[in-house]
Amino acid sequence: MLAALQGALNPALFWEYRVILLTGLLQNLYIFAESAVVAIILAFIVGIARLSPRRALSGTAIAYAEVFRNTPEYVLLVWIYFVLPLLLTKLLGMQIKFSPHLAAVIGLGVAYSGFMSETVRAGLRSIPAGQAEAAQSLGLSGFTILRRITLPQAVRRMLPEIVNQLVSLFKATTIVSLISVQDIMYQVSMISVAEMRPVPLYTGAALIYCVVIIAATQALQSLTQRWRTRGWA
Amino acid sequence: MIENFNRYVLANLDPLLGGLWVTIYVCFWSFLLALILGLFACLVRLRGGVLRYLAIPYIEFCRATPILVQLLWVNYVWPEIFGFPQTVIGAGIIALALQASGYLAETFRSGFEGLPSGQREAAAAVGMSRWRVLYRIELPQVALVATPLVINQLAVIVKSSTLVSVIAIPDLMYQGLKIVNQWYEPIEVLTAIALAYFLLIFSISRVANAVYVNFQVKFGLAGYG
Amino acid sequence: MNQVRPIIQVNDLHKSFGAHEVLRGISLAVEPGAVVSLIGASGSGKSTFLRCLNYLERPSSGEIIVDGETIGAIAGTQGRRAAEPSSRDIARMRSTLGMVFQQFNLWPHMTVLGNVIEAPMQVKRLPRREAEDLGRQFLAKVNLLDKQNEYPAKLSGGQQQRVAIARALAMRPKVMLFDEATSSLDPELTTEVLEVMRDLARDGMTMLVVTHEMGFARDVSDRIVFLHAGRVEEDGLPAQVFNAPLSERCRQFVSSALG
Repeated sequence: MLAALQGALNPALFWEYRVILLTGLLQNLYIFAESAVVAIILAFIVGIARLSPRRALSGTAIAYAEVFRNTPEYVLLVWIYFVLPLLLTKLLGMQIKFSPHLAAVIGLGVAYSGFMSETVRAGLRSIPAGQAEAAQSLGLSGFTILRRITLPQAVRRMLPEIVNQLVSLFKATTIVSLISVQDIMYQVSMISVAEMRPVPLYTGAALIYCVVIIAATQALQSLTQRWRTRGWA
Repeated sequence: MIENFNRYVLANLDPLLGGLWVTIYVCFWSFLLALILGLFACLVRLRGGVLRYLAIPYIEFCRATPILVQLLWVNYVWPEIFGFPQTVIGAGIIALALQASGYLAETFRSGFEGLPSGQREAAAAVGMSRWRVLYRIELPQVALVATPLVINQLAVIVKSSTLVSVIAIPDLMYQGLKIVNQWYEPIEVLTAIALAYFLLIFSISRVANAVYVNFQVKFGLAGYG
Repeated sequence: MNQVRPIIQVNDLHKSFGAHEVLRGISLAVEPGAVVSLIGASGSGKSTFLRCLNYLERPSSGEIIVDGETIGAIAGTQGRRAAEPSSRDIARMRSTLGMVFQQFNLWPHMTVLGNVIEAPMQVKRLPRREAEDLGRQFLAKVNLLDKQNEYPAKLSGGQQQRVAIARALAMRPKVMLFDEATSSLDPELTTEVLEVMRDLARDGMTMLVVTHEMGFARDVSDRIVFLHAGRVEEDGLPAQVFNAPLSERCRQFVSSALG
């Protein structure tokens, strides 16, 4: 067992393939960044719609959040990669095909927008209604109230939770390897098969993710702490 | 599309339902294992003295590593080093349990830390042993607060379980992808599977919510405010 | 005697929240420059009435005429509703009416001056420089010019309420509505706010004041309106309402309120 353990923690293989692996990690970062943008934009649209007095709008928003919070990300990813292009092709009459990268960004973005929309809603609701009433009585329009009064305060309150959800999103980018996006896990699998030595690589991957995520979480914790003491969040 | 549904979903209902059963089986056992590991890790972290410095990295590792990475690691690396698990199903159960145990350990920890310390002192004052206090006073209250979150974690396990298809566990996802790969008609099958997972997870979430509301009303608990 | 057109005219205002009817047919006229105090027990509908005037609550039926413009549903003989007022009508009406709230409702992420100039800049589209001059003018009026760059959290309740008054005044409304403006304040802090309100009255501002401060009501108002269970029970000069009210309920209320 000791020999196996030594084999597991041997970084030589990792080092040998470091360029390919880092390129793969870069793919994870790209997809993370792009799907984060998609998720945040959708989250705000849905979160704001959730608070609309119009039942059609708020009902759709509730349904949206429930669907995407309760569907596994992998299932969503596969569905968007395989099924959606076919449906769009039938609908639009043009041949539609998604690249793995695009499907991954849409899939993860939509999946996490469900969770984030709840955070947005909670943040908006945490602002006392009286502030909006005062603004209304002064003649400000609903949109201006959202833009100048509610959102500036709400965003600060949402930040810690949104940051947590972004960390989860980054962890989730590993599954894009399963629809053949050439991220780090994809490369690790390929190399393991080629080299017939999965042990050090999978251990290495686990350790790298562990270190990166823990470091990022710690850094973000102290950041949000600083925000809290400054009264921002 | 209806004929397709019949052809690919209904015709294959047997393997699909078999896959669903595997999913339920894997999720059930990993949930149980996660509860045990999570509670144990939590107690060690809170009361374990020096062993704390083993518990904390364990919890952090479980939470920080993506589930896919853990799955592959347990499946390919553990047999070489530890000699087990010998089956893919075992690997799936262990990996899902590891991931969930990290979150559960933290959930239990905030439950414990939320307990007013006066209760423990009062129990000690009447002469209850440490174990008694834990068993009769603390755990029940932690259980009350933690239950909605624990049920939610089951929902998370079900969501993560979709990935066990990657190590060839014949769960619902695996069976579905197999049919799609065979017949190249993904629409009906994948939509049916998505719906199935949604209904399963949605029901679990609803139960968690109902328990939360019920406990709030009954015991006046809302996570100790 | 010259009949001056009332600046606020309310005819048979009704408001229900679901099955519960809070306002049961209120009619009122307020002349320009008048200070009218609304008194009554909790739940009598005073705040709801005030909030209907600037449409923070939507009236169920009845007519509201502000500065000659009719807003609010009209109950015709067949109970027909007129068209719902457009948001532009409502905005125009709200610019005539300034409101001060019991909870102040200052915006905590803006400075005191920021609070005051926000509406003039957004609604009247004043450039920042002009708006700031205007804002400082009104802050000086409520004696808070020295706090212009502070954030509301640093101010006492009385100071916050005075800022709220300056914020409402900066839009140059024709009428000021006060919704229990001092009810949230500690007794030592109410004086400074009442002082400001007295000054406003002296300067000729039309004011509709929902209040529990009987001293203020008696000394500063031109008229007192006593509301009970959603109806006007008494409407007259302070001397009359306080010393010789016609309604028994009003007499009871006034005597217990004055201790």
